[in-house]
Amino acid sequence: MARLSIEHLRKTYGDLTVVNDVNIDIADGEFLVLLGPSGCGKTTTLRMVAGFIAPSAGSITIGERSVTTLPPWKRNCGLVFQSYALFPHMTVAENVAFGLEMRKIPPADRAPRVAEALRLVQLAGFDERYPRQLSGGQQQRVALARALAMEPDVLLLDEPLSNLDAKLRQEVRVEIRDLQRKLGLTTIMVTHDQEEALTMADRLVVMEKGEVRQIGTQRELYERPADRFVAGFIGRSAFLDGDIVAPGRFRTKGGVAIGCAAATRIGAATLALRPERIAVGGEADGLHNRFEARVEHASYLGAILEIDVSLSGPDAIDKDRMLLQIPNKAGIAEPKPGETITIGWAEDAGLVYPREG
Amino acid sequence: MSTIAPEPVAGARTGLAGLLVVPATLFVAIGLLGPIAILFRYSLNQFIPGQFMVDGLTIENYVKFFTDSYYLTVLARTVRVAVMCTIACLVMGFPLAYVLARTQSRFKNLLIIAVVLPLFVGNAVRAAGWMTAFGSKGALNASLMGMGLIDQPLEIMFTENAVLIGIVAVNLPFMVLTLQSVIEGIPRNVEEAAFSLGAGPAAMFRRVLWPLALPGILAGTILTFILAMNAYATPVLLGGPKFQMMGPLVYGQFAQQNNWPFGGAISFILMTATILLTVAAHLIVQRRYR
Ligand SMILES: Nc1ncnc2c1ncn2[C@@H]1O[C@H](COP(=O)(O)OP(=O)(O)O)[C@@H](O)[C@H]1O
Ligand SMILES: [Mg+2]
Repeated sequence: MARLSIEHLRKTYGDLTVVNDVNIDIADGEFLVLLGPSGCGKTTTLRMVAGFIAPSAGSITIGERSVTTLPPWKRNCGLVFQSYALFPHMTVAENVAFGLEMRKIPPADRAPRVAEALRLVQLAGFDERYPRQLSGGQQQRVALARALAMEPDVLLLDEPLSNLDAKLRQEVRVEIRDLQRKLGLTTIMVTHDQEEALTMADRLVVMEKGEVRQIGTQRELYERPADRFVAGFIGRSAFLDGDIVAPGRFRTKGGVAIGCAAATRIGAATLALRPERIAVGGEADGLHNRFEARVEHASYLGAILEIDVSLSGPDAIDKDRMLLQIPNKAGIAEPKPGETITIGWAEDAGLVYPREG
Repeated sequence: MSTIAPEPVAGARTGLAGLLVVPATLFVAIGLLGPIAILFRYSLNQFIPGQFMVDGLTIENYVKFFTDSYYLTVLARTVRVAVMCTIACLVMGFPLAYVLARTQSRFKNLLIIAVVLPLFVGNAVRAAGWMTAFGSKGALNASLMGMGLIDQPLEIMFTENAVLIGIVAVNLPFMVLTLQSVIEGIPRNVEEAAFSLGAGPAAMFRRVLWPLALPGILAGTILTFILAMNAYATPVLLGGPKFQMMGPLVYGQFAQQNNWPFGGAISFILMTATILLTVAAHLIVQRRYR
């Protein structure tokens, strides 16, 4: 196990910059998740660490060893693919022994390590099966055992769960996490699934358009999102576009004045509110910001009701629409379009970001 | 991974599938098995000069072949040429097929057409072209001698090397296309997994790529071996009259000597040798790699 350091990593294809100036430090034994929408450069970053893609610039260090120019077979990175990538012509035991075979470990010494790896992933006794005789979940476990058996310096997982069905995904998720902790494996996992990322990671890296938007723990990302993208990507936020007209005073495009402690720099801005900070009906009494909002649309989503409201009146040019998420307590009926509901939030509830576009 | 067994083809249940294979079966029976049976029957007949063919049941044609060192030399030469051509096709074809299978280039289809392109030119036309290029008075020798680099023309035509090169050039596309389609079916991920587990390119090839490509390697080598064993135009045109191979020998017995019984016997020996060698080689390969 070792720490991993990625510095100023860049990848361009012609004019297209796919990964731009990525800097990440991963501590020994840490479980780091790269999270971001599809196409944001997560896989490219991971494959540069594994050695399959040569970076256009930047460096990668594993432990004390700079691996930037090393080929994949000299990096000692255990890799688990979304599609498992087992060797179809080898038995489970041969698959798991492959890394040891490549390290010239004598066959007699391989057997106990293969058995141990298969025991770790709860596949003891499957040695002589072929991959095609296993279910998807079992294949994924063999892939994991194969990567673990060679005692990698870092474990790299690229969307390892996305080919599994929902129930299995939960199980394997917990298994991977427990194993990683138990073995103290330095791990990078790539996913676009927010729930998966939040439940598994020690720390998360949020990427968008090839750039790191924020690195932090779940709490840091949720409570102090660095920008509007993170505020919308990690958990939900209701957004209102407008301007900061004076310190502590935000005015929406539709002209509604809102008191906001976070508003300091005067200029175009977006106000982001977490749904649980917005009070509805009687709960809004006495809050600094309190409005009669017009319901545009309401959806019943089981645990929550999602209500699209506008803050300014029907005559306003910009209606200041925002999306509320109200816990479905005691089965309250969803309001009809055209009705008004009272909403409110405290002065310290919102975060503001410079407005884009 | 789905655990449900694939539905059998709808036709298999209704008997339609059976009907659909009838035309091909008939074609093979009438076009191939019939003539072979007749040929085999002829090979047991007697040949008496002047009388053409006399009905009989004798193995004298086979005895004649296996007791005459001339014919044995031709057989040995044919096998040697076919084996060398097949190996050359595999060694040169595999890297090319691999590149074609793995390339992300927009021009992939063009590259594949470029591989097939030589087949658009028939064997005879191509060989004739080479005669004009590589003959003792051909373009190559003329220019080399004109530049004063050599004073004797290089002997390229009418050698075994000329035949080898000629057959390889004809057979290579078959090998490449067969291998390419099989390699394309091997996920790139599997190779990458091997690399990440510490396998260098040579180890990855030996332990992963080769065994997974084996069905294609078998198909490609069978195809090129059979084609080389039975080559006709290339040995005749590039090997010259003294360079005999089995294909031209068979034809000579039928068309020039009018000795159908002996021609039939040679055909049968050629066919049997081809089948036996193919089966033997692939049993050995399969035992080693499975
Ligand atoms: N070989 C390549 N040539 C050009 N563009 C590429 C290449 N590989 C990936 N890309 C582009 O890079 C971007 C990031 O890809 P990827 O790292 O796979 O995203 P992610 O894994 O986050 O979904 C995508 O927009 C993709 O189209
Ligand atoms: Mg990806």
